[in-house]
Amino acid sequence: MAARVLSTQEMKITSEDDVVLVRRAVRALAERRGFDSFGSAALTTAATELGRNIWVHARSGLVILEELEDGLRHGVRVEFRDQGPGIPDVAWAMAGGNSTASSLGLGLSGTKRLVDDFQLQSEAGRGTCVRITKWKRF
Amino acid sequence: MTSTLEYMNKLGFTEQELASRHAYFQLTGEDLARLAGLRSFAERHNDEIVEAFYQDLLLKHSESRLFFTDQAALHRAMTAQKRYFLELFSGVADLNYMENRLRVGTTHQRIGVAPKWYLGAYAHYLRLISERLFGDMGYSAESQQAIRSIQKIIFFDMAIAIETYIAAGLDSLARHQAAIRELSTPVIQLYERVLLLPLIGTIDTARAMQVMESVLMRVVEKQAKVIILDIAGVPVVDTRVANHLLQTTEAVRLLGASTVLTGISPQVAQTMVQLGVDLAKMYTRASLEEGLELALSLTGRCIRPKEG
Amino acid sequence: MQSGQIPILRIGTTLLASIQVELRDTSAQAFQQDVLKAIEKSRSRGLIIDITGLDMVDTFVARILTDTGRMAKLMGTETVLVGMRPEVAATLVRMGFSMQGVYTALNVDEGLALLAQLQSSQARD
Repeated sequence: MAARVLSTQEMKITSEDDVVLVRRAVRALAERRGFDSFGSAALTTAATELGRNIWVHARSGLVILEELEDGLRHGVRVEFRDQGPGIPDVAWAMAGGNSTASSLGLGLSGTKRLVDDFQLQSEAGRGTCVRITKWKRF
Repeated sequence: MTSTLEYMNKLGFTEQELASRHAYFQLTGEDLARLAGLRSFAERHNDEIVEAFYQDLLLKHSESRLFFTDQAALHRAMTAQKRYFLELFSGVADLNYMENRLRVGTTHQRIGVAPKWYLGAYAHYLRLISERLFGDMGYSAESQQAIRSIQKIIFFDMAIAIETYIAAGLDSLARHQAAIRELSTPVIQLYERVLLLPLIGTIDTARAMQVMESVLMRVVEKQAKVIILDIAGVPVVDTRVANHLLQTTEAVRLLGASTVLTGISPQVAQTMVQLGVDLAKMYTRASLEEGLELALSLTGRCIRPKEG
Repeated sequence: MQSGQIPILRIGTTLLASIQVELRDTSAQAFQQDVLKAIEKSRSRGLIIDITGLDMVDTFVARILTDTGRMAKLMGTETVLVGMRPEVAATLVRMGFSMQGVYTALNVDEGLALLAQLQSSQARD
C-alpha cells in the first residue's frame, strides 16, 4: 500500500546555516512522529550528511521533508535535490572504502545504513537526488 | 497520558490533513453554512432525541446500562451528549473541532466504551434527526440537501472516532512490543560497574540492533566499566551475528567501557576464526566464570578465598 | 571564524573542553584550532573532550575529533573522549565510523584517571 503523506515542508539550502536548520527541522519531525532517541539520532545524522553534501558540492539545493503514514506505521521521508556536479560513478561512491573519495563517499554508504530506504539518482553534470525514508519502530 | 495536541500530531491531524478530509467527505463551506442554519431546528429537537436515545436504546441493553451507575452519572452523560450533538451544527469543522471530537473519543475509549456503542450513537442520532427533519420540512429537495449535510458531518466525525480507537490499539501494541523487547534483553548488574547480559536464542538483525541499544543505554545509566555478553545460549553464531557482536563491542568502547564476550564454545571459536572475524579488539573467555573474573580485575577487584 | 565558543579549562596539566552546543562545521574547525593553541600555550600533557552535551555526531565532527586527537598526540598530549551518548555511539558504529585511535572514558573523572595511567606508563618507558 502506498504511504500517505501527512505533511510536506520545503527548505532551501544556500548556506551552511541552512544545513543546521534542515537538521533541526528533521529532528523536530522525528520527535513529532515519536521516534526514540536512537531513531531520531540516525535520521538527524543522515539528514546532516546529505544536507552537507549539497552545501559542499553543489552550493545550493532543495530539501523536502514529509511525514508519512502507512496503515500501521509512521515515518519520515526526506529528499535532497541539487543541480550540482552529480556523481559520475554511483557504485564507487556508495562503496565508500576509498578515503580519497572525499567525504562524499563515506557519507553515502554510512548514511544508507542509518535509514530503512535509500534512493539515489545522479547524473554527472546534471545533479543529484537522494531520498531517505525511516519508519518508526513499534 | 499524552496531551491532545501531541495526540493530534501523532494521528497526523494537520491543516493539510484537514483539507484532505473536507475534500474526501465532500464537506463544503456550503454544507457547514447549511448546518449552522439548521442549528435552531436541532436545538428544538435535541433534548427529546437524546432522551429517546437513552430510554429506548442504552437503558434497555444490559451492557450499556452498566455505564450509568446512578442518576447523577446518567444525567451528566445525557447533558454532555446533548452538547455534543449540537456541535454538529456549529458551522465549523476546523482543527479545533477535530481536537474536541478527538478528546471526547479518547475519553470514551479510555473508560471502555466499545466502538459499536460510540458509533452506534451516531447512527441512531442520524435516524432520529432525519425523522424530525422530514417531519418539520416535509420531503423536499431542501430537506434532502439538509440530510446530506448532516450525514457528511456525521461521517466526518465517525472517521475521527474510529481513528481514536485504532490509535489506542496501536499504542497498546507498541507498549506490549516494548515490554517484550525489555524482557528479552535483561541486562543485570552483577557488581558495581559490572553488567551482564545473557543472550538466549537466535539473534537476527532487528534483535541485534535492539540488544546494542539496550546495552548502550544501560552502560551509561549505570556508568558501568564492563559489560559481559554471554552467548552460550545463542544457537547459531555466523558472520552476521559475529559482526553484530563486534559492532556492539565497538559502540561500548566509544562510551568508554569494555565488553567481555563469554560462552564461546569450540564450534563458535572455530566459526569465528574461519570467518576471519577480527576479535583482537574484544575480550573473550570460554566461560561466564572466567569472564566475571576478568571483569572484576578490569574494575580493580578480585575474588579471594576467605581467610581462616 | 568564531573562536572561543567552546571554553577550554585547565586542570593541572590537563585541558578540559566541554562541548555543550550543537556543532556546525565551522565551529568544529574553530574548536580544533582553539584546542591546539591551548595545548601549545599551556604545555599540557592531557586533553579531555567532554561530549556529554552532544546529541548528534556526524562523520564531519567525528573526523575533527579523531584528527584533533592525532594532532594533540604529535604535540605530546594524549586525548580522551568522554561522555558519548548511547544514540551517538550507535549511530557512529552503524555508519561504520568507530573512531579508532581515540581513547574513551565514561566521564571526566574516568578520563582523568585514564590520563594518569597513560602518563605514568609513558614515564616508565
